[in-house]
Amino acid sequence: MNNAAIGSPLQRIFLEALVLCVFAAVVGISLNYQLIFNAFSGKTVAVPTVAVVAVPDVASDNAAPIAPLPFPVELDELESLLAAGAVLVDARSASAYRQEHLSGAVSLPFAEVESKLDNFKQQVDLKRTLIAYCSGYGCPDSFDLGVILLQAGYAEVLVYEGGEPEWRAAGLPLVGGD
Amino acid sequence: MACCRITAGGGRLMLFSGKIVYHGSRLILAAVFIYSGLIKIQDVAAFAGEIANYQLFPYAWNYLIAAILPYLELLCGVLLLINRRVRPAVMVLTLLNLVFIVVLVSALSRGLDISCGCFNPDSANHNSLSTALWRDLGLLVLMVGTWVLHGIRCRLEVE
Repeated sequence: MNNAAIGSPLQRIFLEALVLCVFAAVVGISLNYQLIFNAFSGKTVAVPTVAVVAVPDVASDNAAPIAPLPFPVELDELESLLAAGAVLVDARSASAYRQEHLSGAVSLPFAEVESKLDNFKQQVDLKRTLIAYCSGYGCPDSFDLGVILLQAGYAEVLVYEGGEPEWRAAGLPLVGGD
Repeated sequence: MACCRITAGGGRLMLFSGKIVYHGSRLILAAVFIYSGLIKIQDVAAFAGEIANYQLFPYAWNYLIAAILPYLELLCGVLLLINRRVRPAVMVLTLLNLVFIVVLVSALSRGLDISCGCFNPDSANHNSLSTALWRDLGLLVLMVGTWVLHGIRCRLEVE
């Protein structure tokens, strides 16, 4: 066997592998350009897992009213909201919160909301604006927690969809590791 | 494919058993990556969230990776299924798998409490990172086997 016989099939395989990657990239980007564009331009991509929340209608047989849903909030709006007294609520697990969380955030894990909500309500006044977050876009817990907090009586609940990853990427302070 | 003539003698048994193992590995890999690709394509944003949990890439880049990776897995899986361009597909999947292994080891070493995001990008369904690591090592063995057996099979059949 000479060197050309060894080298050329491998080169061909490598080139074909490269073509596969380029083809997949073109298809993937074409089909998801809006999502990618939004992510790179910092726009909020709402990924609600609870589209509408119907409240049981006890007063009449008419269609049930739609429960209020938390509004999404973007990173650049957080500063003014926090300065005005809003409270960050970490919907991730308690261990993730202990490890690292947004500076000033209060822990209320979505998985434990039933057992911890009463204690949370004693700590945080119902008039305060809440901003729920979890592990970024695609993480449904912050939105779902927001729905529950609104049902629990909080007047204004917002969801920071970018969550911990976007906060970290922006170089904003994280607390934890204790 | 050009490699399609069976030789006589001892090579025949080797060829037969090799063929079984080769096609078995190829089809297992095809099933795994077609499933993996299809399930991630259904919710790219959620998959981006899973990648972001690894805290390795700048924020928006997670979305770009999440948009491309499932299609690459699906494409390679389909090529393995139809037994065409097997080696290029295996090369891509092997490189991806090596990256996954490095990423999983990195996450484990940092003690991250996250879902591996390997298949279903559902935060309620947490897969153990160490389980995912062992699974990726198993897939790596299948990939190497498929690559090697594809070459041996072709050589034996062409001779």
